[in-house]
Amino acid sequence: MENVITAIRVVPLEHYFFLSFLLFSIGVAGALLRRNILIVIMCLELMLNSVNLLLVALSAFRSDAGAQVLVFFIMLVAAAEVTVGLAILVQMKRNTNDVDINLLNRLKW
Amino acid sequence: MSALILISVLGVVMLYLGIFSRKQVLAPVAILGLLAAIALFATGWHIPHHLLGSMLEFDGFATSFSIGMLVITALIFLFGPDYYERKEWHVAEQYALMLFSLVGGLLLASYSNLLMLFLAYEVLSIPLYVLAGGKKRSLRSNEASLKYFILGSFATAFMLMGITLLYSLTGSFDLGKLAEHMAAPGASGMVLNFGLFFVVVGLAFKVGAVPFHFWKPDVYQGSPTLVTTFMATVVMMGGIAGFFRFIDSTGMPDSLARSMVLLTLATLLVGNVSALRQTNFKRLMAYSSVSHSGFLLLALLTDSGLHEGHGSAVGGTLFYYTFTYSLATTGLFILFTIAKRANAGAEHNGIFKGLWHANPWLALCLLAMLLSLAGIPLTAGFIAKYQVFLLAIGAGWLKVMGFGVLMALLGIYYYIMVAREAFLPAEGSGAFVVSRLNWVVITLCTIGVLAFGLWPGWLV
Repeated sequence: MENVITAIRVVPLEHYFFLSFLLFSIGVAGALLRRNILIVIMCLELMLNSVNLLLVALSAFRSDAGAQVLVFFIMLVAAAEVTVGLAILVQMKRNTNDVDINLLNRLKW
Repeated sequence: MSALILISVLGVVMLYLGIFSRKQVLAPVAILGLLAAIALFATGWHIPHHLLGSMLEFDGFATSFSIGMLVITALIFLFGPDYYERKEWHVAEQYALMLFSLVGGLLLASYSNLLMLFLAYEVLSIPLYVLAGGKKRSLRSNEASLKYFILGSFATAFMLMGITLLYSLTGSFDLGKLAEHMAAPGASGMVLNFGLFFVVVGLAFKVGAVPFHFWKPDVYQGSPTLVTTFMATVVMMGGIAGFFRFIDSTGMPDSLARSMVLLTLATLLVGNVSALRQTNFKRLMAYSSVSHSGFLLLALLTDSGLHEGHGSAVGGTLFYYTFTYSLATTGLFILFTIAKRANAGAEHNGIFKGLWHANPWLALCLLAMLLSLAGIPLTAGFIAKYQVFLLAIGAGWLKVMGFGVLMALLGIYYYIMVAREAFLPAEGSGAFVVSRLNWVVITLCTIGVLAFGLWPGWLV
């Protein structure tokens, strides 16, 4: 365990910030731009996991286990969320035979 | 703790009753459980002030919001037997999911730790994604739940990023630590501002503040009406309570105040102006709920720790506002379902035509609840808006308050337009069929709205 923490600390904390912001932005861009709903869900997962990365780095630098607890909660909740999301997607696929996000156009102002 | 456990177990009991297909006992059991939970909260039995290593804090604010949410859920469940009468399968799951979502709402009203904020937010949201898609064969219901799911997860990710950034500064998820950090001199910087802003984005999404409101009309329209009622009332109360607890602990620094002012102005404007041209009643109610969250944001805006006890005044106003709003909305959605059935499933505003001739009492109830939403004197909606404006004057947000008054006047128009329909002669031949239980709930909501308007002291 000590080895892991020292290994994490080799890289400065700022770099973890930049990496996770980069991943987060890729996730945001993908969720907004991609048309396939499966890819959108993957991009949402990427956003959550960039947060996880930052939390683990912070936890190692601060020697505080609190952040790692949140990482576990995020993993668990993300799994629950994706289960629900895929179930909704399956239902939509059954009804429309497609997973393109442009099909979501029946409700408009 | 006892009440939280009671409601979670109640949800599981619902699922078991579903296995043995005891459809007719579902609502009575659920309502009895909710009443027991209300009793637990009211007496404070086995509900300590701090819970789970002070991750939850059951102060007066949390208790009043919890009781409010439980009461509204009980009223919605009273509507359940009639709404689900022709539905043979998966009725128990609907009740169970609403109870699980309610637990999230209770946690949102009482969290004092950012980790618990995230969990409460998700416990509130995930059952709603399923509930919104309750009509499995309906494409509109599918679309509503998928839109809600994608946008909801998006907002959650932003909120998590915000929580992480705040953690990187304070080294703790505790709201008390955050308050200490904010109160210390020189507490500013980009990480702090982004952290606060991202958490506010997540919370603003749940209450439907502009520009995070795009999901609201679509999801309200596509979801089954009972679920829409739940979203417009209990979820709104939970979202506002969570928002208040976060804002209250940050002490509202200038950078946050600036973005909150923009949110408030945009929400008031877009909510009221978009509602003017809505012909679908559910979409109209969605924009009405956006505009009401604008007034609630105005109340939140004043919470800058001006003087001792100011925070609890804001909390009291928020409770009064959301509770009376929820009462009126519950009653209106039940009336909408009755009118929708009478008009062969149509959802436009004209479905209320002929209500006065068919059933004068219900037409008067409709009028009273719409007037309360519009904020006409003698109803609770007026007192609620009045208190919000008083708070805004007290905190010196005069221009924002003036804009709010203008938007409240604009809002009267579209509520009156709906009320007018009820007094026009009927077009169709459909009859308004009102079950006895629905009549009781509508009457209770109307009496509540009027009584709390005449004697606001009962709630505050």
